Amino acid sequence: MTGEASKAQEIFQDTLREAAFLAANREPPADRYWFFREARWRCLDVVAHGVQPEQGASESTEVSPQAPEQIEQLEPEQLAIWISAAPEPQRSAIALYYLDEFNYREMMAMLGLKLNELARAIASGRRELQAWLNATVPAAAPE
Amino acid sequence: MKRLSRGLRILSDCAPIANAKAPDRRMRTAVSRAKRLEGFAAQQSFDRAVAKLVQATPVSPEIQEWFANEKMAEGAKRNWKKTAFHPAILAIGIALAVIAVVAGIKFDEQMHAFPGTATAKKLLNVAAMTRPSEFEPVQSEAGTLNDLFFMKYRLEHYDVPPEFSQQRTIGVRVFDDDEAGQVAQIGLAEKRMQLFLFPGRRDSKTGKAEDFQGWRYIQQEGWTGAVQARKGVLFMAAVRGTKKDLAPYLAKPQLR
Repeated sequence: MTGEASKAQEIFQDTLREAAFLAANREPPADRYWFFREARWRCLDVVAHGVQPEQGASESTEVSPQAPEQIEQLEPEQLAIWISAAPEPQRSAIALYYLDEFNYREMMAMLGLKLNELARAIASGRRELQAWLNATVPAAAPE
Repeated sequence: MKRLSRGLRILSDCAPIANAKAPDRRMRTAVSRAKRLEGFAAQQSFDRAVAKLVQATPVSPEIQEWFANEKMAEGAKRNWKKTAFHPAILAIGIALAVIAVVAGIKFDEQMHAFPGTATAKKLLNVAAMTRPSEFEPVQSEAGTLNDLFFMKYRLEHYDVPPEFSQQRTIGVRVFDDDEAGQVAQIGLAEKRMQLFLFPGRRDSKTGKAEDFQGWRYIQQEGWTGAVQARKGVLFMAAVRGTKKDLAPYLAKPQLR
């Protein structure tokens, strides 16, 4: 999210320090999502003060049945770069969704989104990813 | 082909990538309905392929090291024991328990209160402080003292009930109390018990004595009293001890 490992590490350490401080004051974080929420807000704060990517109109298209073959041709780093370039809260929503670790309620709690906002972020992210896939690794023509 | 309702469509957009992870019934319904629709299978294949690629994203050893002690950063889990022993909860619990006990004692006192309770309690204190030397020595049976009280002090109906009438006395005294009026105090040889006779409370409008039936117990600072009302006069037998010490006398009236 920050685009820099050193900044990410700093945020990670700040988050843990804050958790330790709260625990020392007998107010430990209520759940593990606290760490994600806290780290995300810190990341967004850092990003807001850094260089902003140019916001362009993203193309989108319906998910194609050939998408799995297209995705197989991608390198993980390419996908990571595409996700990190997405605008918030779409970026966080897609990242959490495809980590496949959390259900929709947990994602809502972590991102502070309503259900329809989360669904919109994931659905539009899916369509935009498909459009980017079509441009990056065009699907083989059906025989 | 049917379309999904807006609510189910929104849910199907965030459908779990692995079906087993559906967190609630509504999501399971949305997934099950969406499966009948064209396009959902493609969405699921797409999601599985992306998730697989995300899982394959290499994590640098440096970042792996950050999470070497991931358990350490887990949120504090509170079980019922931890919650119960939290200082604030504990303090509230103790306060509530004390309030409940005090309320219970007050309720019990009210249930057992009778006209003249306050005076009887005061006389229990007198019993605790009276020395045998303060009595005018009279060695007799307690039941015979009513004549003495009437003849010498003009105290009418100051009769010792049959339960205590055969007890041997060591002394007697009569004194005036601001609240109770004229009080007759009898010292007994047995268990250093003391008997009190004093005027019962009277209704302020009618002037009629407020009698009650049977024996009533009161307790104060290690002393126990058993009180009975007869003809506008209250009789109290007081002993250092508990109800158990007085109960045998009250159970079997001594017949003359």
